[in-house]
Amino acid sequence: MYEPMLITLTVNREEHEVKVWPTDTLADVLREKLGLTGTKIMCNEGECGSCTILIDGKPTLSCLTLAIECEGKDILTIEGLADPETGELHPIQKAFVERSGMQCGICTPGMLLTAKALLDKTRSPTEDEVRDALAGNLCRCGNYKRITECVLAAARMMQEGT
Amino acid sequence: MAEEFSVIGKRLPRVDAIEKVKGEAKFTSDIQLPGMLHAKFLRSPHAHARIVSIDTTRVEALPGVKAVLTPKTVPKVHPLGEVPGIDKLEYLLDETVHYAGEEVAAVAAVTKEIAEEALKLIEVEYEVLPAVFDKEEAIKPGAPLVHPELGGNLCQCPRSVDGMLPLEWGNVEKGFAEADYIIEGTYESPLQHPVSPEPRSVVCQWIGDKLTCWASTQVPQKIRLDLAHCLDIPLSSVRVISTYSVGGYGAKDSEKTATLTALLARKTGRPVRAVFTRAEDLIATHRRIDSKIHGRLGVKKHGTITAIHLKMITNFGRDSKYLFMIPCAGAVGTCSALYRYNNSRWEGYHVYTNIEDHGAMNGFGDPEAGFCVERLIDEAAEKIGMDPVGFRLKNCMRYGDKAMDFFPVMFGPKIEWGVAGPDIDSLPECIRKVAAKAQWKKKWKGWRTPVEVRGTRRRGIGIAIGMHHCIAETETPDAATVKMNHDGSVDVLSSVPEIGQGLKTAMAQIAAEVLGLRYEDVNVILADTSVTPWGPGVFASRGIGAGANSVYLAAKDAKRQLFEMAAQRLGVKPDELEAKEQKIYVKKHPGKAIPIAELCFAGSQVTGNGMIPRNWIDERSGKVIAPVSVAATIAEVEVDTETGELEVLKITSAHDCGRVINPMLIENQIDLSITMGNGWVRSEDFIIDKSTGVMLNSNLLDYKVMTILDMPKGEDIQEIPVEIPAPWGPFGAKGMAETAVTTQAPAIANAIYNAIGVRIRGDHLTPERIFEALGK
Repeated sequence: MYEPMLITLTVNREEHEVKVWPTDTLADVLREKLGLTGTKIMCNEGECGSCTILIDGKPTLSCLTLAIECEGKDILTIEGLADPETGELHPIQKAFVERSGMQCGICTPGMLLTAKALLDKTRSPTEDEVRDALAGNLCRCGNYKRITECVLAAARMMQEGT
Repeated sequence: MAEEFSVIGKRLPRVDAIEKVKGEAKFTSDIQLPGMLHAKFLRSPHAHARIVSIDTTRVEALPGVKAVLTPKTVPKVHPLGEVPGIDKLEYLLDETVHYAGEEVAAVAAVTKEIAEEALKLIEVEYEVLPAVFDKEEAIKPGAPLVHPELGGNLCQCPRSVDGMLPLEWGNVEKGFAEADYIIEGTYESPLQHPVSPEPRSVVCQWIGDKLTCWASTQVPQKIRLDLAHCLDIPLSSVRVISTYSVGGYGAKDSEKTATLTALLARKTGRPVRAVFTRAEDLIATHRRIDSKIHGRLGVKKHGTITAIHLKMITNFGRDSKYLFMIPCAGAVGTCSALYRYNNSRWEGYHVYTNIEDHGAMNGFGDPEAGFCVERLIDEAAEKIGMDPVGFRLKNCMRYGDKAMDFFPVMFGPKIEWGVAGPDIDSLPECIRKVAAKAQWKKKWKGWRTPVEVRGTRRRGIGIAIGMHHCIAETETPDAATVKMNHDGSVDVLSSVPEIGQGLKTAMAQIAAEVLGLRYEDVNVILADTSVTPWGPGVFASRGIGAGANSVYLAAKDAKRQLFEMAAQRLGVKPDELEAKEQKIYVKKHPGKAIPIAELCFAGSQVTGNGMIPRNWIDERSGKVIAPVSVAATIAEVEVDTETGELEVLKITSAHDCGRVINPMLIENQIDLSITMGNGWVRSEDFIIDKSTGVMLNSNLLDYKVMTILDMPKGEDIQEIPVEIPAPWGPFGAKGMAETAVTTQAPAIANAIYNAIGVRIRGDHLTPERIFEALGK
């Protein structure tokens, strides 16, 4: 039989000691044990991208990641995307607000974090690069055109340092 | 007439945008309460079976399991249907299951893992019964009966004759006799699942004899009615809250999960949360009807339509909570009121089978009808050699033409004739605007002439138009309350939920505009049934026409009271006043004004109430009109004739909005319809094992919704809002969420025909179907 284990997770720059089962997914631990319900579950089987978080800067499906794999890693969820000091929204968040990059909002956190990983790597992506990066994130509200626009606008904002 | 608005018409951020981008918005599946249990449902593996016995002994012995429900331990009641006064066929839990996926038992446990484990320990003995899945098989003599007590598989409604619902106007025989050509064909449209992004979710908690239910739903007041009905308790004991409901697209109407969860919570004395898995959501909620329509259209050489005859068969699945409403919506909409058909007959056959229920989904009957009619119309235009844009402009319905009202058709003693309202006159404007934007004149090279040919790749262009009613269910009209606060800010209360469509934002903009306040002065509280006034919910694109309209009327009521108070103080008459910049001004003496906050304080509680009328009466004819919105779409596609590969290059959609409240939100909603309409026929498929009735693709890898790469790039999607103010809408605005979806599939199909010269009359426009059509 499995036993629960005590592990330390670094989420949004804060350390959390949390008791998990070896079978617990990171998505479940974030949502149910740490109360970080900004990570959304649309399919819970790695098909939709809505639960995407960043692990050491890399977009990762938290529903297909076991929590026990994540000790010592740097986990960023949507709750940690705004500036921790000032609370100011990240440019990608600003762009989504200003240009209505969301409708129902379930895919939004995963979209934002996937886009952040892209912009951290590629400062001024082309439209095709944005589309390729977001190809694994489903938006049932069909908002892809605006989402692409928002990511491109965020890239411009980040370059201009605004 | 140039009207100046200070809040509406502006690209303002959604009121809930910040909480959504920060992950602060708490959806139903995010709710956690102290001591909360998790519910799971045991589902039938058989499409049709009688439950001989259920043994729950082993489950109850499993540590962590707190309650089990079986058909014998729940009230034997039929949940309420969507048609007022007509219950569903199903029971809360039934001793006979009618489709693979139907609930057999429910469990509440301390973790969802234990609840899942518990399901495996429930021992059910089934007596498997014969089942039928195909709509045409189901009406053959000797076919297994889905509901033996009904004596047949054809769904009956008060006006149907031997299971067929006829709607006839004019003289079809005479119409066809007058035609120079008769175009005839059989067209199909496929099943589609809404795939709501948040799977079905509900949380129930009892405190004393009062129940609070958080539900991800489009119809919180209907869930409340259903809970009170099934649990036999007063409405005042049930509070349903849907603060953030998710992308309904029709999926989230009333259903029994809330009641089963409430029963588990009552039995255990603890809060219980039920969240469906993606597979459960696909298998056991509801989906769009499919259809097969045999159509005949009579047309004169010069382009007048003389008659239409449509015979439609649809697969209703296990239940019919909407009775005939969905196909009927298409019949009284697209099939009778999109064009001047002059003489028309529609025959509807609606068949029960052992698959998942049908239910509401974007367009509600009009996309299914439109996918047929708009291909048929295209074939007619070709037959007489007329440009398809011109043919549509010539024949589209106009204001004052004879049209049918929706509800009397199904439930009235006889069909009552009304007229097409002024809304329909937006059709020519939509057609002209979309044609101009998509450069139709430049690109259309004539029938059987593609836009461009490059080797095996052929480019084609096609048009389709569509309509959909945009307010339903006004027998019990929506109300709203506008509550003024002492600082001049305002709380707006309505039971019509925000599901992503942006209604909360539109209501804030409308209330601020009426009251002369700032956008940020308005706080919108939606869908808390013990607090917010009656409104049946959000469906049928009724958010603006019913929900926001009642807010508009309530805000006007509050403003009237403020004006009366201000008039007294300023020594003028109320009609000499205007509200702007948070003050009430004397129009002719802008120096004379009183801050709204001061009046709100003086009045102690200024509250405005508004309720929409039961009927919308046409000013010109004095007759009742059904508000509709219309759309026109042009698609440009490229087909590889070697492989059948289809690329949708450009979509241009013009959409009648009455008045744009927020351009960004209109664009969002048109994009939704475009994407949903593309997915319906290009990639999504509801695949059922033909021998067992089990859904084979109940996951998002195999049930393919459109990804970002499947859709045209940025500027290749063009949304054109058309603003012809509706006399019945708030500031002339009207609901427009669903209409554009009706035009996508036929526009693409017609563009494919232009590209390859072969008509596809079947249900999907996939590379395989195109390949087949090319005779490969």
